[in-house]
Amino acid sequence: MEKSEVRSIYLLAGFLVFAYALPFAVGVWTDSIFYDRQWLADLATVALSGLMQGGVYAMFAVGLTLIFGVMRVINVAHGELVVLGAYLTWVMFNMPEWLGIDVYVDPLLSMVVSLPLAFLLGYGIQKLLLNAVVGGPELTPLLITFGIGISLVNIVEWIFTTDYHTIPYEPDAIHLTASIAVGKNKVISFGMAFLISMSVYIFLKVARLGKAIRATAQNADVAMVCGINIYSIYMITFGLGAALAAAGGTLVSIQFGFNPETGLQYTVVAFAIIILGGRGNFIGALIGALMLGVIENLIAFMVPNGSAMVEIAAYGLMICTLLIRPRGLMGAKEG
Amino acid sequence: MIVKSMQVLITVLAVAGMLLPGTAWAEHRGDDTVLVGGALARTGRYAEPAGRFYNSITMYVDQLNARGGLLGHKVVLRLLDDKSDKQTSIKLFEKLITSDKVDIILGPYSSGITDAVANVTERYKMPFIAHGAASSVIWQRGRKYIFNIIDIAENYQKGAMHLAKEIGVKRIAIIGEDSLFPRMSRKGAEMWAKRLGIEVVLAENYATRKQGDYTALLQKAKSRRAQAIFSNSYFADASAQIRQMRELGINMMMFASTVGPGLPRFAKDLGPTAEYVLGFSQWEPVMALGHPGMGKFIADYKARYGGKPNYHAGQTWAMMQVVESTVIKTGSFDNVKMRDTFATIKVRTIIGTYKVNDIGINNHDGLTFQIQDGQRVIIWPPRLAQAKPRLPMPKWSDR
Repeated sequence: MEKSEVRSIYLLAGFLVFAYALPFAVGVWTDSIFYDRQWLADLATVALSGLMQGGVYAMFAVGLTLIFGVMRVINVAHGELVVLGAYLTWVMFNMPEWLGIDVYVDPLLSMVVSLPLAFLLGYGIQKLLLNAVVGGPELTPLLITFGIGISLVNIVEWIFTTDYHTIPYEPDAIHLTASIAVGKNKVISFGMAFLISMSVYIFLKVARLGKAIRATAQNADVAMVCGINIYSIYMITFGLGAALAAAGGTLVSIQFGFNPETGLQYTVVAFAIIILGGRGNFIGALIGALMLGVIENLIAFMVPNGSAMVEIAAYGLMICTLLIRPRGLMGAKEG
Repeated sequence: MIVKSMQVLITVLAVAGMLLPGTAWAEHRGDDTVLVGGALARTGRYAEPAGRFYNSITMYVDQLNARGGLLGHKVVLRLLDDKSDKQTSIKLFEKLITSDKVDIILGPYSSGITDAVANVTERYKMPFIAHGAASSVIWQRGRKYIFNIIDIAENYQKGAMHLAKEIGVKRIAIIGEDSLFPRMSRKGAEMWAKRLGIEVVLAENYATRKQGDYTALLQKAKSRRAQAIFSNSYFADASAQIRQMRELGINMMMFASTVGPGLPRFAKDLGPTAEYVLGFSQWEPVMALGHPGMGKFIADYKARYGGKPNYHAGQTWAMMQVVESTVIKTGSFDNVKMRDTFATIKVRTIIGTYKVNDIGINNHDGLTFQIQDGQRVIIWPPRLAQAKPRLPMPKWSDR
């Protein structure tokens, strides 16, 4: 490994230690830390909750990193795909009531329909709009996805209005100890996120199609020479990315409120994660997501008025990582 | 050279024309209509309450036209969408006044947007009643063309704070969105807490855009041993907070929000989780309040929109009543004369009497309600209470 490489990874590690220590330091400085059992239990709850939140972040971050890794397309409509997934879940959850049928549709079960639909949408977007411009200047697909994002927001607004929606799902707490609790829906979401992410990871590692996707990501020209239809791979990859975003949307819908304009914040989060984890790296995105989820909660918990500053976490991590080590924790070296 | 000079001249004249205030637009309208315009949040985070503004305004205008319009002119309504965005709203009001040449301006939703738009309306001397703004700071800037109709933000937590004192709450957390109205509401909550001898152990605002996970903030309130949470919030944040309190098993003696619980969807969406939550209301569709015209308004609104009006709808209707009375009393659409009438007129509306003081603030008293068995029930002030408060809130595990 080159000397500069080693230096940059140490620098990034040092920065992350500093970033995680900072909320504690501010907490000590401003007397926001209480050295008692209750406070430690609250801290553990907050950290755990951040980890769970990170799991949901991971769902859409891995989709974004997959799309970037294979096609070098910066999909700024990713957050909108997340929100679309949330709406699909909401529609299916409420459908029986609208039709006057007394049946309970588990929101997670709606993924059976929403994921294939999102896959088809992603597949179609790649086929009709992006295949023609992949491989050219990176700005063109970026602008196309930007347009897709705005269109999606407007279409969803037109159909569902801008009202906030949420799905009441497993609203109670799971008490790990007498004073450490975590929402049941958060645990279920984390479990689902882990399951889906791992399934995709194993698919990429083991399945023939997964290997073809990885080969295309590594070198599209060589993959093509080996007989892989890279345009078909592009369509499948975008479809997969969109399905992962929609899965993230389902998990968002059972925990938080959403409206058509919520997508932007998820796009920013996903970008911060893949820059920290390493653009195009699957495991990097998972680690980055968990790290961001935890640090956001630590800032909100320990820094005075920290809840107004959580956005600094995403932007700060993004900027500092780009300055210190542009390829992130696990990304491939560029150039 | 000549062409360039002409361009400069035309530009200067156009700018000067735009800056010339005080024109009575109605005299310049060729047809027999009067244009009433405004920008409201039809989309974005304020769309839920502002949607009820829209309902009341359109219904009022329809009824007004059926009665023969304003001073014999048919009322044409032009309501634009400010997307819950301050900059968009400023542009739209500028357009409504200078390009569309509206005769009467209707205010937007939220204190932050109203405060920004008031700079435009002052410049053009267009008077309006800020039915969507409650922050008193808006009237402390020496403005002359903006009038208040509803109770001010500083009083939103007044009733809840008195009730907290009654049930023995000693330490509270005050949280809220980081925008003008919640900040003013926080200021009022802090003032009332101080006055009633309640300690504020946490006072914190959260980012306006990033709304979703309040785990850390709620946990922070718990770790500071708060016994009640006063949340200066809108719909999305208030509903997420109470939901997450349940998820985390955080038990408080009271949870009082400002705007969120007043919207009918709050209790409907959250179901049992919404029980015992306190909210503030400018008005409730309860006949016991005894204001004239309430019964007809409630019946008409219900017939047209399928549900009872909430306070947002009520205060907007009241604003329209004042506008109509003002135009009739003024006898013209002259904006400066209308301003003088707004400043002096006394009107009995469906939410109470409109009569502003020297700086344009109306003396309106709000209500505190609690969600009991899925319904909003007035619990404060005692003389108007429909039921006894169900406080302190039972533990989540005991529900």
